[in-house]
Amino acid sequence: MGKISAPRSNREFIEACVKSGDAVRIKQEVDWDNEAGAIVRRVCELGEAAPFMEKIKDYPGFSYFGAPLSTYRRMAISLGMDPASTLPEIGKEYLKRTNSEPIAPVLVDRRDAPCKENVLLGDEVDLTELPVPLVHDGDGGRYVGTWHAVITKHPVRGDVNWGMYRQMMWDGRTMSGAVFPFSDLGKALTEYYLPRGEGCPFATAIGLSPLAAMAACAPSPIPEPELTGMLAGEAVRLVKCETNDLEVPADAEIIIEGVILPDYKVEEGPFGEYTGYRTSPRDFRVTFRVDAITYRNNATMTISNMGVPQDEGQLLRSFSLGLELEKLLKSQGIPVTGVYMHPRSTHHMMIVGVKPTYSGIAMQIAQLAFGSKLGPWFHMVMVVDDETDIFNWDEVYHAFCTRCNPERGIHVFKNTTGTALYPHATPHDRKYSIGSQVLFDCLWPVDWDKTNDVPTLVSFRKVYTQEIQDKVTNNWTDYGYAPVK
Amino acid sequence: MKNLWEVFVMDMGELAEGKELELTIRTLNPGKQKYTYQRVKAEVSSQLDKFADALQVRLGRGQLSNRQFSIRVIETVQRMPERYR
Repeated sequence: MGKISAPRSNREFIEACVKSGDAVRIKQEVDWDNEAGAIVRRVCELGEAAPFMEKIKDYPGFSYFGAPLSTYRRMAISLGMDPASTLPEIGKEYLKRTNSEPIAPVLVDRRDAPCKENVLLGDEVDLTELPVPLVHDGDGGRYVGTWHAVITKHPVRGDVNWGMYRQMMWDGRTMSGAVFPFSDLGKALTEYYLPRGEGCPFATAIGLSPLAAMAACAPSPIPEPELTGMLAGEAVRLVKCETNDLEVPADAEIIIEGVILPDYKVEEGPFGEYTGYRTSPRDFRVTFRVDAITYRNNATMTISNMGVPQDEGQLLRSFSLGLELEKLLKSQGIPVTGVYMHPRSTHHMMIVGVKPTYSGIAMQIAQLAFGSKLGPWFHMVMVVDDETDIFNWDEVYHAFCTRCNPERGIHVFKNTTGTALYPHATPHDRKYSIGSQVLFDCLWPVDWDKTNDVPTLVSFRKVYTQEIQDKVTNNWTDYGYAPVK
Repeated sequence: MKNLWEVFVMDMGELAEGKELELTIRTLNPGKQKYTYQRVKAEVSSQLDKFADALQVRLGRGQLSNRQFSIRVIETVQRMPERYR
């Protein structure tokens, strides 16, 4: 693999985005109370450059970076690629890097860790000293963690987990958050900490390098510190926490350390969520007690504003879920030609392209997809043949509307695992993470005669000879039409 | 100074008048503490001039209610076990 030149920190990433025109510096003062959130939301809905807000009301010295990865251009920049790279090119690069050898992190001395430039311990610990934004009007609180990693370690297996579990500031030393029971942290809590009544040490890292954030968001079986190294082509630098044994990214902007309480909960939510709704109501949820805060000089807090498409949660989660499913299906010998989730599906619909070489292949794909660790995060799988361009929604939609037989092509899976955030689920199902899922099989049945039973697609590309296509294409402007981009 | 508070309820019936309630409220006073919570014993009234402080209400998905109350915070309640404070 050639030398990768990816931004190693949030600061390098901002610089690269400003240089390419994919971020704008906002010099005027911005209010943390709704205004910053509204800017980020509008940026997401317009697909605009990421806002780097340099002056925050009440919080001199701090800044915000919003919508860090809500476009494929910024995703390409984060990987050290040309911003104009296409989605298939970015996906191919992700697969190449994440199929390489794991790169272990390195531990650095705290003197070499910028995140230790300011250390608050004991009575100095106060979350209100950080510019925690009210992201959406009507949210249950100011959200500390919207684009970050909650770092924990399994006490027995030693697995390190970096996950994006939203965290709301309840008071100056307490946060509450949504942790699903099927998530890595949820399993560690329910399997180990809660039955024993033991607190679970955690560290929240905010303002990560974009690839560390990508790793924290990806549903990969590879531990996130190694995955970050593989994506970046070099080891991620970690440093020991002040108050527990966890290791955190040394170049992160802000670190919050503490303990997840095993037997005490405070209220959390509601919050504008990635589905584009506030679905989960206020409830008593996992509670984080804070013991220390460390941060860089002039720290930049990252903000993701989830809502209607498209934000970085939808973009990145769709991207990584699709590619991780592609890896899984290929590992099982399924002849998939590609997997894609449109971010605008709010990562709910998986589109799988496959060579339909045997009967039941769509069902096999759906069973693997829904039965995997990835499964609770989406509830629709659509399987199309290798002639359909999975990245072209017009083609996929046409295949769905014409080839999916209402009786034989739609298969509902009942009593599966779902998230509490599904807007279509009942309140009861949401409370207990009960899901249901559906397969849309858009393949021609393999027992249909290919000549006499399978309909012929009538399109410019399919029904005319290459000679005619070339003639028409070459004469297009002569006919009086504008050139096709 | 009059304080402005906010409470989230699933049902307006949670704000019964004429009795002591235990509520989780957040401050809407300007400044760095805005939106931080506390658990309190309080009385509320739909008569806006009955108590000195004002209470704004939001419903389960964050919708702002058009009903306004006045509130008297009697005392702070410490729910968190001593060992975690």
